[in-house]
Amino acid sequence: MQTILDTVIWVILALHLLMVIVAAWNAWRGENSVMRLVGLDIASTLTTAVLVIISIIRQNSLFLDVAIVTTALGYLSTVALAKFISDQRVF
Amino acid sequence: MRIIPSAIVLFFIYLALTGNVQPANLVLGALVALGISLLIPRNGPAQVPFSRIPRFLWAALRYVFVVIWDVVLGGLMTARIVLSPKMPLKPGIIAIPSGSKTELGTAMSAHAITLSPGELVIEMDSDGMMYTHCLDVDATAAESANAQAKRQALLSSMFEFE
Amino acid sequence: METVLQFIAILLLVLGTFLSLVGLIGFIRLPDVYTRLHATGKVSVFGLVFLLIAASILTPLTVWKGILLIFFVLLASPAVSHSIASAAYKAGVPLADAKRDDLKSKLSRGKGKDV
Repeated sequence: MQTILDTVIWVILALHLLMVIVAAWNAWRGENSVMRLVGLDIASTLTTAVLVIISIIRQNSLFLDVAIVTTALGYLSTVALAKFISDQRVF
Repeated sequence: MRIIPSAIVLFFIYLALTGNVQPANLVLGALVALGISLLIPRNGPAQVPFSRIPRFLWAALRYVFVVIWDVVLGGLMTARIVLSPKMPLKPGIIAIPSGSKTELGTAMSAHAITLSPGELVIEMDSDGMMYTHCLDVDATAAESANAQAKRQALLSSMFEFE
Repeated sequence: METVLQFIAILLLVLGTFLSLVGLIGFIRLPDVYTRLHATGKVSVFGLVFLLIAASILTPLTVWKGILLIFFVLLASPAVSHSIASAAYKAGVPLADAKRDDLKSKLSRGKGKDV
């Protein structure tokens, strides 16, 4: 069971990295700024997922602290950018 | 006295983050939680009287399961729409009245609606009307009143007393 | 016991990754911003939460941090979806083949020139 688990985790890590690249590509080549913002949001969520997978591989909960901070920063920056798009100012 | 509930929540978050329960760390966590909850603005969340706490917890538990069930159903529906080759989309914006008198109740209803994939609150007005974008207009229009009534009954037994 | 927990963790990992993949496919296939946001919410609600449950099972140290992060994600991701959708509607991004728009008469929308 351990070998299956190791294989599954590495395959999942590769898949998530691919998905981050696809989302970042969509953020770079979006049709308009809101679409790019959605791409950035999905990319930051997937980055958190990559950190969680790394914490499983290394058996180290330190990466989850990094994941918490990444999630908080990603959500805050997305909300601030959305507010900037709708009102043309941040606060 | 108003800072006690938020201080308790912050204390448990501190314990979950540090992950050791030595007495010195407990004291430090209590001090940090009290200090931060002094900085939180005065008009905080709704206060639940001590005599109502068991009923509040029971209603909150049922509410969590109702929301989880909605989320699973919505996720399956969205996956079916996305994976089918023809994509049977019927998008549109529907006005759903929340039926709640307080802002907290409207916000909780909007959170539960937006959390389930397939429905997304775009705008709310002061009367508690939630303008919801949904992937399948007919299905959501058919069952939204029912689901909202169920959520609203649980929420009002949690937060709105008398 | 160990084997059962590992089996559940494998199941959760595969299911979470599959649902993230479905969300990303939806993000690419769906026509406009509002429908794409449904797919984005799927990634954070299902993909991330299933991965976090698997992490909590596999590494016993991370249980409380995992639960904290699950609560945080479930609390914050609807706010993000709502803020993006509201910004798009106020900036005047059109809805693709909308069957119904109850909000149109309510708000005066922007022209959508700066988007």
